Amino acid sequence: MASEAERRPQGMFECQLCALSAPYSYVGQKPPDTRSVVLLEESYILKDPFTADRDKFLVLGSRCSVCSRLVCVGPECSLFYSKRFCLPCVRENIAAFPQEIRQDVEKRKALAKMPHVKP
Amino acid sequence: MPPPRTREGRGHRDHHRAPHEEETPERWDWNHPETRRLLEDTFFRDEEYIRQGSEECQKFWAFFERFQRFQNLKTARKEEQDPGPPKHSIPALADLPRTYDPRYRINLSVLGPDTRGSREPGRRLPPERVAEFRRALLHYLDFGQKQAFGRLAKLQRERAALPIAQYGKRILQTLKEHQVVVVAGDTGCGKSTQVPQYLLAAGFSHVACTQPRRIACISLAKRVGFESLSQYGSQVGYQIRFESTRSAATKIVFLTVGLLLRQIQREPSLPQYQVLIVDEVHERHLHNDFLLGVLRRLLPQRPDLKVVLMSATINIALFSSYFGGAPVVQVPGRLFPITIVYQPPEVEPATAKSEKLDPRPFLRVLEAIDNKYPPEERGDLLVFLSGMAEISAVLEAAQTYASHTQRWVVLPLHSTLSVADQDKVFDVAPPGVRKCILSTNIAETSVTIDGIRFVVDSGKVKEMSYDPQAKLQRLQEFWISQASAEQRKGRAGRTGPGVCFRLYAESDYDAFAPYPVPEIRRVALDALVLQMKSMSLGDPRAFPFIEPPPPASLETAILYLRDQGALDGTEALTPIGSLLAQLPVDVVIGKMLVLGSTFHLAEPVLTIAAALSVQSPFTRSAQSNPECAAARRPLESDQGDPFTLFNIFNTWVQVKSERSRNSRKWCRRRGIEEHRLYEMANLRRQFKDLLEDHVLLAGTEAPRPGDSYSRLQQRRERQALYQLKRQHEEGAGRRRKVLRLQEEQDGASSDEDRGATADQDSCDSVDIQDVKFKLRHNLEQLQAAASSAQDLSRDQMALLKLVLGRGLYPQLAVPDPFNSGCKDSDQIFHTQTKQGTVLHPTCVFAGSPEVLHTQEPESRASDGSRDDKDKMSSKHQLLTFVSLLETNKPYLVNCVRVPALQHSNNVYDRDFEELGHVIVGPEGYTELKVQDDFLEEWRDLRTKGRVPKGWRWKGQIQTSNREQGRGLQEQLDPGADGVSESTSHHILSLFPQVPYSLRRLTGLEVQNLYVGPQTITAAPSLPGLFGSSTLSPHPSKGGYTVTDFLTYNCLTSDTDLYSDCLRTFWTCPHCDLHMPFTPLERITHENTCPNAPQGGSPGAEEADPEPLQKASALQRPYHCETCQKDFMFTPTEVLRHRKQHV
Ligand SMILES: [Zn+2]
Ligand SMILES: [Zn+2]
Repeated sequence: MASEAERRPQGMFECQLCALSAPYSYVGQKPPDTRSVVLLEESYILKDPFTADRDKFLVLGSRCSVCSRLVCVGPECSLFYSKRFCLPCVRENIAAFPQEIRQDVEKRKALAKMPHVKP
Repeated sequence: MPPPRTREGRGHRDHHRAPHEEETPERWDWNHPETRRLLEDTFFRDEEYIRQGSEECQKFWAFFERFQRFQNLKTARKEEQDPGPPKHSIPALADLPRTYDPRYRINLSVLGPDTRGSREPGRRLPPERVAEFRRALLHYLDFGQKQAFGRLAKLQRERAALPIAQYGKRILQTLKEHQVVVVAGDTGCGKSTQVPQYLLAAGFSHVACTQPRRIACISLAKRVGFESLSQYGSQVGYQIRFESTRSAATKIVFLTVGLLLRQIQREPSLPQYQVLIVDEVHERHLHNDFLLGVLRRLLPQRPDLKVVLMSATINIALFSSYFGGAPVVQVPGRLFPITIVYQPPEVEPATAKSEKLDPRPFLRVLEAIDNKYPPEERGDLLVFLSGMAEISAVLEAAQTYASHTQRWVVLPLHSTLSVADQDKVFDVAPPGVRKCILSTNIAETSVTIDGIRFVVDSGKVKEMSYDPQAKLQRLQEFWISQASAEQRKGRAGRTGPGVCFRLYAESDYDAFAPYPVPEIRRVALDALVLQMKSMSLGDPRAFPFIEPPPPASLETAILYLRDQGALDGTEALTPIGSLLAQLPVDVVIGKMLVLGSTFHLAEPVLTIAAALSVQSPFTRSAQSNPECAAARRPLESDQGDPFTLFNIFNTWVQVKSERSRNSRKWCRRRGIEEHRLYEMANLRRQFKDLLEDHVLLAGTEAPRPGDSYSRLQQRRERQALYQLKRQHEEGAGRRRKVLRLQEEQDGASSDEDRGATADQDSCDSVDIQDVKFKLRHNLEQLQAAASSAQDLSRDQMALLKLVLGRGLYPQLAVPDPFNSGCKDSDQIFHTQTKQGTVLHPTCVFAGSPEVLHTQEPESRASDGSRDDKDKMSSKHQLLTFVSLLETNKPYLVNCVRVPALQHSNNVYDRDFEELGHVIVGPEGYTELKVQDDFLEEWRDLRTKGRVPKGWRWKGQIQTSNREQGRGLQEQLDPGADGVSESTSHHILSLFPQVPYSLRRLTGLEVQNLYVGPQTITAAPSLPGLFGSSTLSPHPSKGGYTVTDFLTYNCLTSDTDLYSDCLRTFWTCPHCDLHMPFTPLERITHENTCPNAPQGGSPGAEEADPEPLQKASALQRPYHCETCQKDFMFTPTEVLRHRKQHV
């Protein structure tokens, strides 16, 4: 139970784009209880609520490296390409990204329009 | 090229290993076990993210294979070089990698083996393979993150889409302004899962949410824990009778209403909570109604306590106005449109006046669905029937229909099904086949099944009703209320538009009562009144119930509790009463427990009391299945049903303690629902703890194995059990299975059984119930109790029966004198309140009533007549029973046979017991008469067998709080009166040869039994007769109250019994006095004989040690009709006086 305290919620994470909210228990690049995995961005992290395994974590989101908005990792809100970018920033600067990303962003737009994916 | 900021690939050792790889490139095989082991040794060691041998590890390799195939496809494509965009002015965009690589899209990194100091295994791995592996691992982790986040997002979306989500803020705001808020919303609006979370999110941390059912507490705690993402944390917990997941960190606890009431009983101001959510108030359960009353009184004293009442949209005004016009937040349900079809059954030509339900109207609905809706359009059918008999009637017909059409799977659903069978209704039907669920009203509110599109409502329900006069429970069929009809209808519209077929006319519906009858108007209130008294709530008649119970029910309960000694004459709680109030069982069972521990029979009585407090463990199929019945036969006791249950429990404990045996299988083979036995074990443990708390039982130390080796062994075993439990909890819940078509199901039930066994045993090799059981109980202790039970001596058995008999008194029945000449099914019995009751079909005597008959060929009674009427026999028996239940007939449930005279003379309240003439019962309805020539013997013996005062406990005990517990024990302790097993031996050996007759008095006889209230109220001074106690006239019977169970001179026939002619010579065994005595003179002497042992008979302790010389003490009031004068005369003087007038 030593790590119980570390897993206590530190606050509420709320995506500034989709308003998804969830409690987070850690912010940083080195999730507690995991030795071999590091994160490549400052992330808001929750102990994975879907497993009893205490060292499994779940990344909720991080700040956009362009506009500093706090965004979730959901495909409708942000993408990661060596850094976190919120989708509005990606769209605004779409030319800066390689073709694979551009295609992917197009695909996401199409998916988001389909009714069953919408909340 | 490594992506920025990763630490992989920094190992300097790579160079050394490179040539090694070049030597054997073609021999590299990812699937080789050795290869995998090497990689696992490197990456998946004990403290790593994925551990060797875990389920996750297997998943990874499956992923790895797919990933490899995918990669091969990709590399086959032409690598196209993107020159990349020009440098960007925004710094974050300026240093993006020039060349696209999917790994740049992953926001995490795995440390390489070199950075972990794992030199040994890693050395033999070629670095390029390691890189490849690591790349796959990265993608695997990323995939896992995406999956988990997807689940989280879906969960949050679904929560936000619930109708109640719009009202969360308003509920919190209203609660800020008011002490009580009513949240009204129909099933599916999400109130039960969401409101607790809103409170949590708003910062409340001491929240209790009550549920009427235990199951709901567990499932809601799990659901809310899951949704609030603290499933495996401890913020959300539940607390039910034997289980609690509550800890110091718990912010919200789901608990049963009964449990909350017990908490209030301990701490009336409920200081541990800030907010109380009372869910399902509309169901109007007894406890819920009572809780509302308690809260209404408590709220002014706890202005800081907030209360949220949650209800379906039924009768909301009632709740709001009860709490002074509390604001209502009404949430619309989420229901799809439902078409109502009224389809009253046509008047059928009366097919043989049977009571069986006609299944044809139900089959017509099945047919109509088959004709109208194509099988590809999914949607199941839920049929509401009134009871189990109705379910089996329709089940049979529907299964025949289903086997023709191959389009239905028919499943019953009711509370006495085994848990596994109940779960089947959640399984999925194969394509093109619909489920047809035949259910009692438990599917109305308690069980929610998804995918229902059609509902058939029979409009009927079977409910218990209570007759306070007869103290009888009736299971009767009623029309449902409009509110229930709407609930039933609503079940069709949860997942899409639906149809509700009502098998009654619209005019019937209009005539239905608007709401169901609340439980408080339908049940016995003994336990409720007792609880109210123990919570010091004053006069129950004045309690502000939301809707008051019928006054007669309250009066009956109060009277009953007084009769049982739980309340005194002023209706205050007696010490025994307060002890009984803490036992979570019927008063009857509570009495048994107290008596059992008093008579050193605690172990067996604990088991029997627990067995009688849970639902019958026999599954319904077990009744019809001859194999089960045969397997169970050796466990049956011809002493009575509680002893059968006793045997089952004990044998089950033995099975459990034998390592190699599977108790689940053992139970299934005998048609026993094992779950009930677990409940018994838990209840038994709770009773034991309570009795120990009250020092009625000496605390028991767990037997400790002596040497350290076995202690260690035991600790290891427990650790292993804990681990099993954890593993089980981590494992996924039960997965839905696809149901098979009916013909296979029907094939052979034993086949299915075997299938199920194999199935369960293989896919879930851990019997989690067994694990929990072994963790909770000391099996060795239980086993010791169980095996000692198997060799109860004859005397102990007799004493045990006396304890049960006293506990159950006045629930006893007299066999009809004509029984021995009747068929099994025509055996009838008469109780005090009800004539002509029969044995319940599950009763052990129903199959062998001959054990209840007096079989004495030598008996020299009523010449030649075949019946037992007035028959003289020494083997008459009475039945003592646990409950009287009326369905189509009045049934005696859970019967024990007892020897009539022994019990009448020792444990029952009786009026007159001299001259071999005993009248038993509070209203005197059973008469026993000893055959004249055995009077001497009987008199001689009756004094020896007398059980001491502790037996009766009434008004004997002054204290019972914990500090004075020992006092209570002493007062109850039979040891003080020198009674123990030897007493039971006496009782048993008494009267074995004394023939007597047994009969139930007719109503007219009972009416004229007593002289009735008398005009002369002055108590006669009869020093010496009954000690120095002043006798008070009995208000209704006449005569004088001698002790609480003996009324003197109240029978109309008394006067003749004391004539001189009955005086016979007798020698007092204690003082050797030899004189002619009348029987009454003789007990007088016995009661007062200075040499007599104490406690030999009631009243002895107050006896004035006056010698017999004062025979004039036999004077009693005599009114002479001839000279119209009142005298105080001895019986002899009466005779002398009468002679004057002749
Ligand atoms: Zn978002
Ligand atoms: Zn941005």
